[in-house]
Amino acid sequence: MNKTVTINISGIIFHIEEDAYDKLNKYLTTIRGYFNKAEGGSEIMSDIEARIAEMLQSKTSLVKQVVLMSDVDHVMDSMGKPEEFASESLEHASTDNESQNNSYTYNESIKKRLYRDGDSKVIGGVCSGVGNYFDIDAVWLRIALLLMFFFAGTGLLLYIILWIAIPEAKTTAEKLAMKGERADINNISKAVKEEAEQFKKRMEKYGDEFKNMASTHKDVPRNTIEKIVDFIGDILLNIGRVLLKIIGIFMVVFGVIFFFGLFTSVFGMTLFPNNVDGKEWIDLLLLDGKDFYLGLIGIAIFIGTPIIMMIYGGVKILFKIRYSNRWVNLSAGIIWLIGFFLLLMVGIKTGSDFSKTAKVRENIIVKPYQTLYLKMHEMPINFHEINMSDEDEEGEEGFKANKKNNDYMIGTNNGIKYLLGHAQLNIIKSQTDQINLVIVKEAKGADKRTATDRAKNISYQVIQKDSIIEFDNLFKVDHADKFRVQDMTVILKLPVGKIIYLDKSLETMIFDIENINNTYDGDMINRRWIMTENGLKCLDCNGIDDNVEETEWTDGSQPVDINKDGVNINSEDTKIKMDSNGVRIHSKEAKVTIDKHGIHVDSKKQ
Amino acid sequence: MVNSENTKAQMRKGVLELCILSILSQGDAYPTEIIENLKKTKLVVVEGTLYPLLTRLKNTGLLTYRWEESTSGPPRKYYMLTEIGTSYLKELHLSWYELVDAVNKTINKQD
Repeated sequence: MNKTVTINISGIIFHIEEDAYDKLNKYLTTIRGYFNKAEGGSEIMSDIEARIAEMLQSKTSLVKQVVLMSDVDHVMDSMGKPEEFASESLEHASTDNESQNNSYTYNESIKKRLYRDGDSKVIGGVCSGVGNYFDIDAVWLRIALLLMFFFAGTGLLLYIILWIAIPEAKTTAEKLAMKGERADINNISKAVKEEAEQFKKRMEKYGDEFKNMASTHKDVPRNTIEKIVDFIGDILLNIGRVLLKIIGIFMVVFGVIFFFGLFTSVFGMTLFPNNVDGKEWIDLLLLDGKDFYLGLIGIAIFIGTPIIMMIYGGVKILFKIRYSNRWVNLSAGIIWLIGFFLLLMVGIKTGSDFSKTAKVRENIIVKPYQTLYLKMHEMPINFHEINMSDEDEEGEEGFKANKKNNDYMIGTNNGIKYLLGHAQLNIIKSQTDQINLVIVKEAKGADKRTATDRAKNISYQVIQKDSIIEFDNLFKVDHADKFRVQDMTVILKLPVGKIIYLDKSLETMIFDIENINNTYDGDMINRRWIMTENGLKCLDCNGIDDNVEETEWTDGSQPVDINKDGVNINSEDTKIKMDSNGVRIHSKEAKVTIDKHGIHVDSKKQ
Repeated sequence: MVNSENTKAQMRKGVLELCILSILSQGDAYPTEIIENLKKTKLVVVEGTLYPLLTRLKNTGLLTYRWEESTSGPPRKYYMLTEIGTSYLKELHLSWYELVDAVNKTINKQD
C-alpha cells in the first residue's frame, strides 16, 4: 500500500504516488531553475508541463488511476535531462559544463523551512517542528519550555505564540521542506558566500556576453545592464535579510524580557498585595477594588498585547514564515483596544474624582499664656513612605533622616491602615486678643460635597498642656477615603505682644513663617519670638550663635595658631577661627558664622 | 578530451531549426507531432530540447500558434509558419544545400 498525493498539472488532476511525486517535483523544480532567467521562461515551462500532463494521462486509465514511479521515469526519459535540453534557451552559454554546475548549486537543495510537525506532536507539534529545524531532539525543547513555564509562564506564552505563528506541515512538499537542509544562522553566511561566488561567475559570463554582443553588433547591452542592476539588488537583498534576522532576534529576546517584567509586576501586585508599595498606591488612587482589577487587566492587555505581537513578529521574521493569519492581527488589535478602553474608563472615573477641591477650616481657642511653648508630637505609628520616593525605609529612622513635606505615607495603627501626610505649621498675627489655632484641611473629590467630606475626615490632633502646645507631625486619612491630594496646615493666630518659643522638634513642620528678622525656617527654632504690629520678631537672635556652643577663643598669646584642630587668628580687632564646628569671623563691626545652621552675617550697622 | 557525442549534439542542434520549419511548412502541427516526426529520423533524442526552441522561433516572429482542444489532455498549441517564417525557410533551404554541397566536396576530397 502506498500513499498518494493529488496534484494538478496544466489543469489536469493526477493521483500520484508520494515518492513519484517527490521525484517529479524535484525534476520540474530543476527545469524551472534553468528557465527562470531565460526569456519566455514561464511559457516554456507551461508548454513542458502540458506535455508532461499529456504523457501522464496516456499512462493512466480507469483501471490504473495512479501515476507510478515508472511513469515518472518514462516521462523524464523522453523529456531528457534538464541540463541536456535547457542549454538551448541560453543561446550564448559559454560552455555546457559551466552552466550545468551553476544551475546545480542553485536548485538542487530544498530550502529548509520551519513547520509544525503534526506527525510527531504532543500538543501542537511546535517542539518537534522546531527540533526538525535545528536538528535537536524535540524532548530537550519540551523540557526547556516546561522549565520556562515556571518563569512567569514565559514558556506557555512562547508555546502559544509559536503555535499561532508557525504553520503546520500539511502537504508532502511542506513536510519535505520541514526536514530539508539545515537553514540556520550559520547557513546565512554560507549562502552569502555562495552568492558572492556566483556573482563572480556571472560577472565573467556577462563580460563574455558583452564581448559577443559587441562583435555581433546586436542591440542588447541594455539587457546586460539590467542583469547587473538585478544582481546589485540581489546583494542588497541579502544584506537586508541578515539585518532582518538580527531585528527578529532582538524582537523575540526583548519581547520575552518585557513580558517577564510585565508579568512579575502586574501579577506580583495581585499575588503579594501587602508588600508592594505600587499596589497600595494604585489602591489609594482608584475608587474601589473592582477598578483596581479592571485597571490591572487594562494595563496587562495594553502593554502585553504589543509585547506578544513583537515576539510573534520576531518569530515570523526569524524563521521566514510567510504564512500569515489575518485573524491574529485583527484579534490582537481588538484585544489591545479593549485594554485601552479599560484603562481609559478607569482613568476617567479616577480622574473625575480629583476634579473639585474643597477647604475646611476648624477653629480652636488656645488658653492664653504670655509665652507659649510650641512642640511637635511624633505620632506613634508604623509607616512607610509611598510617594514614589526611592528609599522606602520603614520605621521612624528613615523618616527622620530625610523628610520632604509632600511625601505621603501608609501607616498602620492597631492593624488599621491610614494614609499619612505631613502637617505644616504657620504663625500669623491675630486680629483679636485671642490666641487661635486654625486648622485648614484640603481634599479633592468628584464634587464639592465629597471633597468637603474628605477634607473633614482628615484627622489631626493638637494638645495643649498648660503653656505647651503639642502639634502632631502627621495627619491621618482613612484608607477608605483614598488619596485625593489631602493637605493640612495649622495656623497659629497670635495677638500682638504674645511670645512663642519654637522647639527644635518643629524644624520639619514650620514652613515659610514670615518674620521681621527674615530668618529662614531652620533658624527660627530654639528661639523666642514676639508678635509685633509688623510681625514676628526674634527676641534672642542678637547673637545668632546663641544656640551654638560658645566659641572658645584662644588667648591672645599666640596671634596665629595653626594646629590639627584648625586655624586660629587672634588680632586686636579681629578674631578668626576655623575648626570642625565651622568658620567664625568676629570683628568690631560684624560677625560671620558658617556652621551647621548655614551662613549668618550680623552687622552692627543696621 | 575528445567527446564525439558533444559534437554530434551540436551538429543536430544546428539543423534542428531548419527541420522544425520544414515540418511546419508541410502543415500545422503541435509539439508532440513535431517530436514524433523528428524522432523517426533520430534528429531529436529528448523532447525537452524542442520547447525552448519553439518558443524562441515564435518570439522572433517566424512561428505563430493557435490553441486547439484535445480529447486526451490539456489544450494543444498548434504551431504554423508566418510569412517571415516561410521566406526565412527558403533562405535556409538554399544555404543548406550550399552547405551540404560544400561539406560533401570537402569530405570527398579528403577521402
